[in-house]
Amino acid sequence: MSDPGKDIVAELLAQSLIAWGLDGAVQTTSDGAILLSCNGRNIRVQAAAPNLPFRWMVTVDHHARGAISLVAVLRRLRIALDPNYAANPVHVAFPRTPS
Amino acid sequence: MIGVLVLTGFLGSGKTTLLRHLLAQPQFSRTAVIINEFGEIGLDHELIETSTDHFIALTTGCLCCKLRSDLIATLEDMLRRRDEGAVPAFTRVVIETSGLADPAPILQTLMTDANLAGRLMFSGLITTVDAFNGAGTLEREAISVKQVALADRLILTKSDLAQSGAAQLGARLARLNRLAPLFTADHGCVDPNVFEIDSSNTSAKWSRELVSGQSDLDHVHDCKIQTWTIVRNEPIHAVTLSLFLEALAEHCGADMLRLKGIVHIAQSPDRPAVIHGVQHVFHPLEWLPRWPSEDRRSRIVVVGRRIPRRWIELLLTAIQMEVQEVGALTMIANA
Repeated sequence: MSDPGKDIVAELLAQSLIAWGLDGAVQTTSDGAILLSCNGRNIRVQAAAPNLPFRWMVTVDHHARGAISLVAVLRRLRIALDPNYAANPVHVAFPRTPS
Repeated sequence: MIGVLVLTGFLGSGKTTLLRHLLAQPQFSRTAVIINEFGEIGLDHELIETSTDHFIALTTGCLCCKLRSDLIATLEDMLRRRDEGAVPAFTRVVIETSGLADPAPILQTLMTDANLAGRLMFSGLITTVDAFNGAGTLEREAISVKQVALADRLILTKSDLAQSGAAQLGARLARLNRLAPLFTADHGCVDPNVFEIDSSNTSAKWSRELVSGQSDLDHVHDCKIQTWTIVRNEPIHAVTLSLFLEALAEHCGADMLRLKGIVHIAQSPDRPAVIHGVQHVFHPLEWLPRWPSEDRRSRIVVVGRRIPRRWIELLLTAIQMEVQEVGALTMIANA
């Protein structure tokens, strides 16, 4: 992801902590990763290697898992950071666009 | 005298759908409609089919808190334009309140304003209650209790979505308001005669309490509720919208009281999509036959509690960027 894109994602993650009522810090690193520290946990979010079937890698306390989209990244973060969160993924399907 | 019907009900309880159906009935031709939305940009008026017999005015802001003078001014202006022949000679007025409005001050205004009293007559308050979310809404939102308690008629909507609990909800509604008969709407359709109210009976009790200021129901407005409008000039990819709505529903849940929008989908430039969501529930997307006005921007209104505006903006922007990037990568891979 481009530098402006990385900055937007970093700000999105910082705002997500606010939206979830959590105190934490978000910073970007020179190698393109985003680091979150919150509730005593350290999380690293970075673009996945091109040969992997993911867009993102989310590393929580040294355990790395792939995420296929930003929406999936947010879900992983929320599960890791918010003890009150009951993961309830929602899938919105659209009818075919009219011809 | 021109009768004034007030249509209220909590956010997402089906007021606009009901109104849309009502205005299609012959006996509701020559109806003037005032739509009050609690948001920066009104959308409901664009979702209602207009005809030469109808006349629609729009107010934004919360009628019950700050803009009672706006309501009076709007009604006076409508009457003046009717007298001048500038608008159809309507024989009835329907006021659709915002889902967050306290109906009591609106009724007070209609019953006590001296300039209106000679020409307009409050004819009844209709409250819609969502059969699916209604019980939870009554638990959480004090204003919804008041909307039910003040009604002359209660209309249960979305009963097709409610798997169970209808009897308990009906009993709760009866406890809150034993004077108001309960009707059920089928996808917004209800016998139009339900709206023909003999206000001399049903509203008499409330009229006395409100005008004398002796109502035991407090004026409630939940200040934690905020409305944000997201506007995008460029078309939105269908995948972007899907992911955006999924994330909102997943992370905001019950704090997302209402979401509605007209969206310019990139894959459907001539037919905008209409989205409706209430808490965890999204209604099936609707494709309008055409754009209702020259304004082809996507406009999404989110009414919620404790949802930062910046988060919503960033969420949509970041998903847009990701979808564009994936699309570009796919094109490169397929080249």
